[in-house]
Amino acid sequence: TSSVLSKDKDKSAASKDSTHEGAAKRKEDGAETPKQQLLDIIGNMKVEVSYKKKLQQLKASESKKQATKKLESLDIEGSVPQGITEDTQRGKPLNPELVKAASAVASSLPCNKKQTVSELLAQLRRHEETTDKQKKGGTINIRNVISEMTVKRQSPAQRGARIFGRISLQLDEDGQRIRRERSSALSMDSRRYFCCFSFFVYRSLKVGKRLNIFTKASTEQEHALETVSSPTIWDLEFAKEVAAVTAQPPRNGFEEMIQWTKEGILWEFPIDNEVGMDDDAEFHEHIFLEKHLEGFPKEGPIRHFMELVICGLSKNPFLSVKQKVEHIEWFQKYFEEKKELLQEI
Amino acid sequence: MAAAAVCWALRSFRQVLPSPCPRQVRSYYVDWRMLRDVKRRKMAYEHADERLRINAIRKNSILPKELQEAADKEIAALPRDSCPVRIRNRCVLTSRPRGVKRRWRLSRIVFRHFADHAQMSGVQRAMW
Repeated sequence: TSSVLSKDKDKSAASKDSTHEGAAKRKEDGAETPKQQLLDIIGNMKVEVSYKKKLQQLKASESKKQATKKLESLDIEGSVPQGITEDTQRGKPLNPELVKAASAVASSLPCNKKQTVSELLAQLRRHEETTDKQKKGGTINIRNVISEMTVKRQSPAQRGARIFGRISLQLDEDGQRIRRERSSALSMDSRRYFCCFSFFVYRSLKVGKRLNIFTKASTEQEHALETVSSPTIWDLEFAKEVAAVTAQPPRNGFEEMIQWTKEGILWEFPIDNEVGMDDDAEFHEHIFLEKHLEGFPKEGPIRHFMELVICGLSKNPFLSVKQKVEHIEWFQKYFEEKKELLQEI
Repeated sequence: MAAAAVCWALRSFRQVLPSPCPRQVRSYYVDWRMLRDVKRRKMAYEHADERLRINAIRKNSILPKELQEAADKEIAALPRDSCPVRIRNRCVLTSRPRGVKRRWRLSRIVFRHFADHAQMSGVQRAMW
């Protein structure tokens, strides 16, 4: 058992407790070989290293079992008041069954009983503290860290600069360059997703840093601060290169359709009949075109002809006002060139 | 002079891509006749407005006849390829001048080929 003790002192106290309790159990049941004890210890340790709550439950169940067994046996009752007095001196109330179990274990061991009992109780107390902390949520710092992280709006120049910084570090390995860029893009995206998910962690509405996602004014200010004077040719080239590399082939039909829509091959739905037609003119500018006829003679066949032209243009829904005006001006120019011919007639 | 013309023709024969495209793109016309048809279409587009206006003067009963005769001469002076009558609706894939369906811009043979391989959306073999 001494060798067992020396091994256990290096490992965590929980496993120690359970092994001690296990050893106490077995001692009560009957004499067992040290080999079997070792095996049992190893088996217990594998189970208990992972979850602290399960540990507590195991401890509680074992302690309950031990308590019932102890109530039956008469030898250990004498040592119980010792454990209780020590515990009350420390201040923090432990589970009395656990205390009983600790005292039972100490009594079963050949070493100094009081010392072992005090050590076990101290370790139990520590366990209680950690479990309480976990319940309150104080130990986990990851959530605090994530909530402090903000999703900033980046200007394309900044984004390019950052990607440049990231890629320049990896430019040494030419063979693996493309793979690294892909992984960096993926990691950036996964990080972004992680940030977005973390925002949905429930907190009171006005606690914590403002994320500035929905405030228009602040984002505009950021843009004003971050705009570079003018992107150089090298920046543009680099941006094009980055876009060409990061543009992955579409994984499914939806992404293909998105790409086509961006390129202009596929129309945008719901279909807008006036795409590409930016005619801001009112209807009266289309119909009442007589004001453009000021350059023509007021009588004669030319005027007659032009009035017919205007009548036709006013009924034309396909031309813009600018095109109609150009039409009339062309005729004006043409007739001015032919003035000499007309005057002969 | 002849060499320069041939060079220009060769260069224009090959379509230059303005931006890098990940998909396969046709970079040559099927044959020279197709190229010429393309040139005619471009010219017709450029001179379409002028031709329309001059014809409006010509096909008129109001304006004096001298004006119309002058307009006749003007329109005749325009390049020959600028008239839309010279455009031939060739098959887009094979440049076949005859048997081309307007809706698909394909000749009947190519159309049949694609339709049988189920590559024409909404086209089915007729059976009634």
